[in-house]
Amino acid sequence: MVAISSEGGMSIRDVGMVYRRGEQVTTALVGCNLEIPAGNWASLIGASGCGKSTLLRILADIVKPTSGTALIGGVSPAEARAARTYALVSQQSTMLPWRKILANVELGLEVAGVDKADRRRRAEEAIELVGLKGFEQAFPSELSGGMRQRAAIARALTLKPRFLLMDEPFGALDEITREKLNFELLRILKETSATLLLVTHSISEAIILSDTVAVMSPRPGRISHRVEIGFGHDRTADMRDDPQFAAYEAELRHALHGPAPTARPAVHTASTYATA
Amino acid sequence: MALQSETFAKSGSFGLPAWLGAGLAAMPRPRAIIAPILVFILVIGLWQFITEAGYISPLILPSPTAILNAFAIDGGTILYNTAFTTIEALTGFVLGNLLGFLLAVVFLYSEWSRRTVYPLAMAAQAVPIVAVAPALIIWFGNGMAPKIFVTIFLVFFPMLVNALRGLKSADAEVMELLYTLSATRRQQLWMVRLPASIPFLFNALKLSACACFVAAIVAEWIAADRGLGHLIVLYGSQYRMPQVWAVVLVGTIVSMLVYGLVVLAEARVAPWLVSRKRPASE
Repeated sequence: MVAISSEGGMSIRDVGMVYRRGEQVTTALVGCNLEIPAGNWASLIGASGCGKSTLLRILADIVKPTSGTALIGGVSPAEARAARTYALVSQQSTMLPWRKILANVELGLEVAGVDKADRRRRAEEAIELVGLKGFEQAFPSELSGGMRQRAAIARALTLKPRFLLMDEPFGALDEITREKLNFELLRILKETSATLLLVTHSISEAIILSDTVAVMSPRPGRISHRVEIGFGHDRTADMRDDPQFAAYEAELRHALHGPAPTARPAVHTASTYATA
Repeated sequence: MALQSETFAKSGSFGLPAWLGAGLAAMPRPRAIIAPILVFILVIGLWQFITEAGYISPLILPSPTAILNAFAIDGGTILYNTAFTTIEALTGFVLGNLLGFLLAVVFLYSEWSRRTVYPLAMAAQAVPIVAVAPALIIWFGNGMAPKIFVTIFLVFFPMLVNALRGLKSADAEVMELLYTLSATRRQQLWMVRLPASIPFLFNALKLSACACFVAAIVAEWIAADRGLGHLIVLYGSQYRMPQVWAVVLVGTIVSMLVYGLVVLAEARVAPWLVSRKRPASE
């Protein structure tokens, strides 16, 4: 396993986020702390509007926190972005419709100024890795949502990022495709040794793909629980049948909704309606 | 998956170059062509019948055969003058669209120039240019220059408006992706904004493909010694109506050809807009 040092990982220290719109003050995040050691896989799970995407976007340098610090590989998100040490995969595959799959996968390399032949070779490698071989010359509109998402993952991998930030990457897909891609991603992660932060609202997805699951609760958004998933990195699809998997599922469900017998649907609905 | 990839390789349709195949695919199916042709033949037949039978004076509407005959007599003159009008119209088309597009790019990056120049461009569009044409002829002479000027004037604004919208149409998610990749502004322009604007640009080009001929011909009415507008005025003053209609017909055909070229160019430049194959599944 990869040596664990907080220097090479991601850390969120006392991060807070307050939006001011005229008189109205909205506290989106308060006192968030999370350390993800290098090589670790972490998930942020919570209902819509709990600020999990905001935390990820802070690490990606898309938004700046109003308090606290975020570090990615020991440097600020802005520096990490300039050095292209992380790659972002979002819920929409964000393909450029005018580029064929190969050219879409090459995009990051092209922006980074990698020469054509090298670009091509690395893009083809990534396409092969995500199982899209044979579709290099297809336009994104000719592929299904799941295949486009594979292409987005391939594009993210081409720059050999040390950090993968994934914002509900399979959120727009059906349950069957989603589960299939969860295990595909697991296989890919094992090959890349990247540090992962995954934002999800699926409990099983979080367990399959994480060493650490941070549960967030809304209004104000904060990390309320942490669950360590002790499966190691040598996981297979069989893990779903492990009784321990069900135990983690129950633990996370309780963390999200309160203890099982007294689960109050009202609380769940209220949080679902909270806005981002 | 291997099977699907083969169908992708084969879908270049019958050994034609891919862009031409795509262009043809964009065209309507045979049935969709036959129906309008039948209607066209019917209309021409009816036209021939009504004019031949003397229900309408040949001065008001000459018969199709008379128009064909006029073309047989004066075809050489008409084609010679068509060449002039075509040069004027196409020069105006190219320069006007270039001007509109370049202004759009400048406006995209300079808020200051957009605030100061855009209102002027809009005001310029409101000028009834045809009414100003006599002044243009005094300024630029009797040759092609004033006609090209009028054409540029009528062509640049649709391009400006469409290009500006197109350059701003890039998806927010895509721009965010480029941001996380630390793309430069120039990369954003070349890799995202320009390609995203292509459908908008072609909308403007299609509008101006026909408008440029109208502009050149109207400008020729004012004062010209060559061109289709000049011929219409000349034949009209001589009451040679079949000739006038022959000129109109040739003008229509040429501008339709230009329009067709724009459509073909779109299929070649933007194949992703044409190829709408069924999405492959997992």
